[in-house]
Amino acid sequence: MFFAWPVVALVLRGFVADGAVDLGGFADVLSRPRTWRLVGLTLAQAGLGTVFSVLLGLPLAYVLYRRSFPGRGLVRGLVTVPFVLPTVVVGVAFRTLFVDDGLLGFLQLEETLAAIVVALVFFNVSVVTRTVGGLWERLDPRAEQAAAALGAGPWRVLRTVTLPSLGPAIASAASVVFLFCATAFGVVLVLGGVRYGTVETEIWVRTTQFLDLRSAAVLSVLQLLVITGALVASARARARQEAALALVGDRAPAAPLSWRSPGDVAAVLAAALVVGGLILVPLAGLVLRSFRGPGGGWGLENYVALGTTGGRNALVVTVWEAAGNSLRTAALATALALVVGGLVALVVSRRPRAATARRAVTLLDGLFMLPLGVSAVTVGFGFFITLDQPLGLPVDLRTSGLLVPIAQAVVAVPLVVRTVLPVLRAVDPRLREVAGVLGSSPGRVLRTVDLPLAARSLGLATGFAFAVSLGEFGATSFLARPDAATLPVVIFRLIGRPGPENYGMALAASVVLAVLTATVMMLAERLRGDRAGGEL
Amino acid sequence: MRAPGAEDGLEVRDVVVRYRASRARDRAARDTVAVDGVSLHVAPGEIVALLGPSGCGKSSLLRAVAGLEPLAAGEVRFDGQDLAGVPVHRRRFGLMFQDGQLFPHRDVTRNVAYGLEASGTAGSERGARVAELLDAVGLAGYGSRAVTTLSGGERQRVALARALAPRPRLLLLDEPLSALDRGLRERLASELREVLTATGTTAVFVTHDHDEAFVVADRVAVMDRGRLLQVAPPEELWRAPASRRVAEFLGFQAFVPAAALPPGVLPDAGRPSRADLSPETVVAVGPAGLRLLPDIGEPLRAVEQGPLWQASVVGTAFRRGRAEVTVDVDLGSGPVRVVAVEEPALYDGVAADPAGRRRRPAVGEKVTIVLDPSGCALLPALR
Repeated sequence: MFFAWPVVALVLRGFVADGAVDLGGFADVLSRPRTWRLVGLTLAQAGLGTVFSVLLGLPLAYVLYRRSFPGRGLVRGLVTVPFVLPTVVVGVAFRTLFVDDGLLGFLQLEETLAAIVVALVFFNVSVVTRTVGGLWERLDPRAEQAAAALGAGPWRVLRTVTLPSLGPAIASAASVVFLFCATAFGVVLVLGGVRYGTVETEIWVRTTQFLDLRSAAVLSVLQLLVITGALVASARARARQEAALALVGDRAPAAPLSWRSPGDVAAVLAAALVVGGLILVPLAGLVLRSFRGPGGGWGLENYVALGTTGGRNALVVTVWEAAGNSLRTAALATALALVVGGLVALVVSRRPRAATARRAVTLLDGLFMLPLGVSAVTVGFGFFITLDQPLGLPVDLRTSGLLVPIAQAVVAVPLVVRTVLPVLRAVDPRLREVAGVLGSSPGRVLRTVDLPLAARSLGLATGFAFAVSLGEFGATSFLARPDAATLPVVIFRLIGRPGPENYGMALAASVVLAVLTATVMMLAERLRGDRAGGEL
Repeated sequence: MRAPGAEDGLEVRDVVVRYRASRARDRAARDTVAVDGVSLHVAPGEIVALLGPSGCGKSSLLRAVAGLEPLAAGEVRFDGQDLAGVPVHRRRFGLMFQDGQLFPHRDVTRNVAYGLEASGTAGSERGARVAELLDAVGLAGYGSRAVTTLSGGERQRVALARALAPRPRLLLLDEPLSALDRGLRERLASELREVLTATGTTAVFVTHDHDEAFVVADRVAVMDRGRLLQVAPPEELWRAPASRRVAEFLGFQAFVPAAALPPGVLPDAGRPSRADLSPETVVAVGPAGLRLLPDIGEPLRAVEQGPLWQASVVGTAFRRGRAEVTVDVDLGSGPVRVVAVEEPALYDGVAADPAGRRRRPAVGEKVTIVLDPSGCALLPALR
């Protein structure tokens, strides 16, 4: 309800004007050259981001999942970090690199498409690496060995056997990455400046700056269409992947890296470039700059300033208060997402006997994946226009403070489902039957069989949900009241204000947020252990 | 307590189990009928094996009795009570699967104790019962082991102990030994019978292996394509299969019209005398119903009254210490390919080579085979 209703209301707002169906809004918005420029930009940056993420992610997947070397676990962990980093933090990190006096200022990339694409690749390389690597690791190596025995050289084996087997995983990863790039919000808003934007940022601008709800609604509908297409392509790729692969049950043993093999050397160089250049440099740059005070000296000034409301009272609350808000909201959102996501995963994991019920389960599965694709901004915007009188009740949810956690939970639910569902699906139904025959009522079966078996994945899902809620910016930026702002909102506001104090504070706050998120994810990753907990 | 009567034990009446076609497109092809009107009685303390090829519906029948599959028709009663509407967990039955299905998150003790916890048995009594059962299945001292560290045979023993712990009224076993290797399977089959009879457990046991069924069960129910073909104690089933289908499934390899055989060689199975045989009566030749005669020029006295056939060797194999020769032969009902067994006793006095080996017949060679009536059965008519 909290997802579907706002979105439907939003779509209706695009079609209906003054109680009558009116497509004038569409004609109006679609005839603006600015709209088409934005659509083009969105597609271009998403396309470029996807291509580079895949190209850079593949060697990394090979090195991290098919070869072993000392410190592999650490590098794998490092590669995961960008995925859960709040978009605002990443935006700030890259901006710090590219500003005139920044580490890479000489590249003149400030407020360019290239800067946006680099930041998008930073985020999504880990998605490609994890998705493809997870499959690569379990790919039966005997097919490659058979090809080699038939006289194929390493390059030919890669081209004729390995890549075609990985094809579905690559396609699936690429479609997800495309989705994330096309709906990127925080990064684009921070890095794009006034010149570059996407449909997503335009919705936000239309709503918050010009109060042009109608255009925003039309753009949201446009966005939905693009995303549905990408989701369908992704689902197709995933179905093919499940259907046609020879996988070994356990991961194949990884061979140690060999410096004699030219392929290995090339892959290591590429991987080192990605990890070092793309992931470490921006993070290190961010941390470094956060210790440089507004006066140019080094020290903790920026961190001390976190207890204030910023230069010229840029904020309503201090940054520490915002951090408290963030933690409280994220805790609430996580609880909501776990309850809803856990229940959905439980229902979807069952294989009912009746055909209609089976179809309903499949539909439910797809329905709860939608928020993964529908942009957070759309969710926030939808909430914004519908929840002034939810279901006709005279309760304005917008002022109740519950709205932000609910919106964040909507964004986090698909992650919970995707993490818990594969584990529940892997439980042999006969295990439940045995428990039933031994005298357990259905409730007791749930408590004594399903719950203990899914416990680890629930822990991991908690971490994911918490990290995502902490960093959530798109929906929160619509809904958070100034006196209850969260960390990402505060950071964004600080960059937007003039003054080196505020900029320094933004950097320090970004580091704080990144540390919070990374800590949560590290705790959660421990729960994952040796067994992959899910698809993400 | 009521006195034991005919109503006691498990009563399956005209049970039908149907699987719905999964997609609308298949609907036209009709639903699959897995169990097609089966009736079966299992007396208290009795062990009945459901024997049949894979896909014959035996597991579906077992699941229907457990309450895991809905009945399309018919009824399942226990001790006179209709079980329709009694949910799985209130039937007080036990169930054991082929691969054990132990709870991976519990150790051995807590697996065995699971059913006792569900019924609210007190802790001290529970511990005693678990120890008693682990002892009964030969796993005393294994209590604190993680189930992932157990071998296949040990897992099945734990699964058996877990199923028996709550003293089920009826134990259902779904191919409990099929995942084990041959030697272990044969050993566990006799152990299984010992444990079941020692605990006086009423049991229904599904298997596709007749040796296993004959070792474990008091009576064997042969099932094919959703129907019961014959229910009988093992010896009777072996001596007098009710139909050609049953005989084929038990491994009878050829069917010869009785009229084609000379008088006096027919198996004596308490069957009608020769005068009563209908022209359609058939002799089923069992897996050991044909003997290979040593090549010494003249028939031996011990079997000289049996009919002899000239057969052409297709291949030989050495199994369980004896040569088995596959031959093409016409037993009176057209050419068939059968296996004849070498009988060591027939070779007394036959010369062996200096190393003590006997020569094996080569492919294409002509050999003489003879019918051994004790390895054959009479079928009432060709079906």
